[in-house]
Amino acid sequence: MPRSMLVLCCFCVVRILLPTTVVAQTSVNPDISVIPRFLIHSDDGQKLNEGKREFSRPDFSFEELELALQAYLNPFAKADVVLTLPGPDLENSKLGIEEVYATVLRGLPLDMNLRIGKYRAEFGKLNMTHPHAWPFVTAPLMQKRFLGESLNDLGISASVLLPTEDVYTKLTVDLLRGTAIGGATGMVDTTGAKPYYANTARLSSFFTLSDYSDLEIGLSGYTGIHDPYHRDRFWYGNLDFKYKIRPSAYTSLVIQGEYLLNTRTVHLEDEKSISSSGFYLYADYQFFKTYSIGARVDWSESPYSADDKASGFALFAGYYPVEETLGLRAQYARTTTELPGFTQSVNSIDLQILFSLGPHKAHPF
Amino acid sequence: MKWVLAFIILAMAGVSEAAIKVVTSLPDLADLARQVGGDKVSVDYIVRADQNPHFVEVKPSYMMKLKSADLFLTIGMELEMWAPQIVDGSRNASLTVVDLSQGVTKLEVPAKVDASQGDVHRFGNPHYWLDPRNVRPMMDEIVSALTKVSPADEKTFRANADAYLLRLGVKIQGWEAMMKPFAGQKIVTFHKSWSYFANWLGLDIAGEVEPKPGIAPSPTHSAELIALVRSAGIKAILVEPFYDLSAPEQIARATGAKVTVLPTSSGGLDQTRDYISLIDYDVATLASSLKQ
Ligand SMILES: [Zn+2]
Repeated sequence: MPRSMLVLCCFCVVRILLPTTVVAQTSVNPDISVIPRFLIHSDDGQKLNEGKREFSRPDFSFEELELALQAYLNPFAKADVVLTLPGPDLENSKLGIEEVYATVLRGLPLDMNLRIGKYRAEFGKLNMTHPHAWPFVTAPLMQKRFLGESLNDLGISASVLLPTEDVYTKLTVDLLRGTAIGGATGMVDTTGAKPYYANTARLSSFFTLSDYSDLEIGLSGYTGIHDPYHRDRFWYGNLDFKYKIRPSAYTSLVIQGEYLLNTRTVHLEDEKSISSSGFYLYADYQFFKTYSIGARVDWSESPYSADDKASGFALFAGYYPVEETLGLRAQYARTTTELPGFTQSVNSIDLQILFSLGPHKAHPF
Repeated sequence: MKWVLAFIILAMAGVSEAAIKVVTSLPDLADLARQVGGDKVSVDYIVRADQNPHFVEVKPSYMMKLKSADLFLTIGMELEMWAPQIVDGSRNASLTVVDLSQGVTKLEVPAKVDASQGDVHRFGNPHYWLDPRNVRPMMDEIVSALTKVSPADEKTFRANADAYLLRLGVKIQGWEAMMKPFAGQKIVTFHKSWSYFANWLGLDIAGEVEPKPGIAPSPTHSAELIALVRSAGIKAILVEPFYDLSAPEQIARATGAKVTVLPTSSGGLDQTRDYISLIDYDVATLASSLKQ
């Protein structure tokens, strides 16, 4: 066959295939969303050891880029992949996997849902929310101190709805690899052994208070081995609530809080048991649909000491001119760190800019 | 023991008379399902008349409504962007989701799906239920969906639907007669909710308060609309009950046009308890605005 003929044939085949492929792809492609966040930050804590309290020059930096893909695998299951490019070094930053998991939604006994992969575990309420969806810029002290960035681990999760009449009550139990424990406590396992498995569970109920207001209450637990040398175990108990009233499409008020209680055995000179706790409480008021203002109070001890404390508050405001495609958040926070014989307060100001490409999902409660 | 027995008997009686459990997105669809299903169905809905059907929060209480349902009737065309999450959350493996837009002639289907065109009408305008002539294809879908669940009742469902469509047909003639004097008149609407309604009654939608579907009003766009309303002598600005009135009222003040709040779903007002009374109310209210 002459070459020109062959080219022509190929061309025809492509012409015939092309339209159908295009049509098929649009329906099979996963939903993709890309959400970059930028931050302008200044605080007055950087020269405190020189005895000076002055605000640093505002630093404009890249905070994080989140790339989320979601699609149904089949009629029974869907899959989520969330990739993250952490800041601030945009050039040398590596794309990492924040979450990758499959969820079996139906077809299992007891109408169970099963999740397998790496994911933000269902512990408390805020842990499941990605930072771009927070009303504030920085995580509550309690979350930072007891969970690290977030409780995000490799695991298997099973959840069932309990037969509580018309009230939605869900029980979720997770078996986690235990790799996230070090991230929370700073303990690095150098034994070379595989980590000990960890467990979380959450029981939550959703109450409809009126046509316009709802309340969710959750009780969670988290346990694992935090010291592999002595096989020391920790236990977290956590109580969370979220109240939301939305009298119109333009106005809403959210009040949310969590209280975490930690007990753990540690080996210092000898074996000892430590108890500590932390909480946050915030309110966020949305008005004219595009604006929001809020405040948060924070108080937290640390996982290894009730004497290592931090407390503070944050005032924040948000502006979302076109749904969540574009967001601006401003925050003023004052954080006081307290150790025996040492107290230091730092004021910080943040301006966060984020935008969001891709389909916008309806907001979960 | 007696109580246990009584309970079992009651429970069994409940099972043997179990109605087909239908949940709908809009209250109007609930009304149509009730008309077709009669006492063979129990019906509930999710979106209240004072809620924007495009933007509904994914609440676990909605999942509970779907948990034991047989059918979920929806408008489709991505009006209920929130529906997949509620369906998944319901964990109901035997739930059938029915898209009532199948037999409807669709308006404003874009050639290109792109967020630059606004984010809520990507698959064409989904507000077709406001043209009562579309109730026929919608009811056909409802009849076939109910029949799939309960084949023995097919004749009843068909007869119920036909009786309702007959009643609706008479109403449609009345509404058309009432609106005939206003045919060709220009109106402004807040959102593109009224394309099918206007198309049916021969009204001309000259502009929307929203610059693009789902995008909030902007001062520049409102200024353009003021000029348009003035030059075209437009008398009515149609607004759904869940939208903020400040932009439409500003346009009205500047031009003398009348802000006319028209519900797009039944159940919000005493006068709009079902689908027919909803259209009754909307037609009569609009006619009185246009008369001035
Ligand atoms: Zn719309």
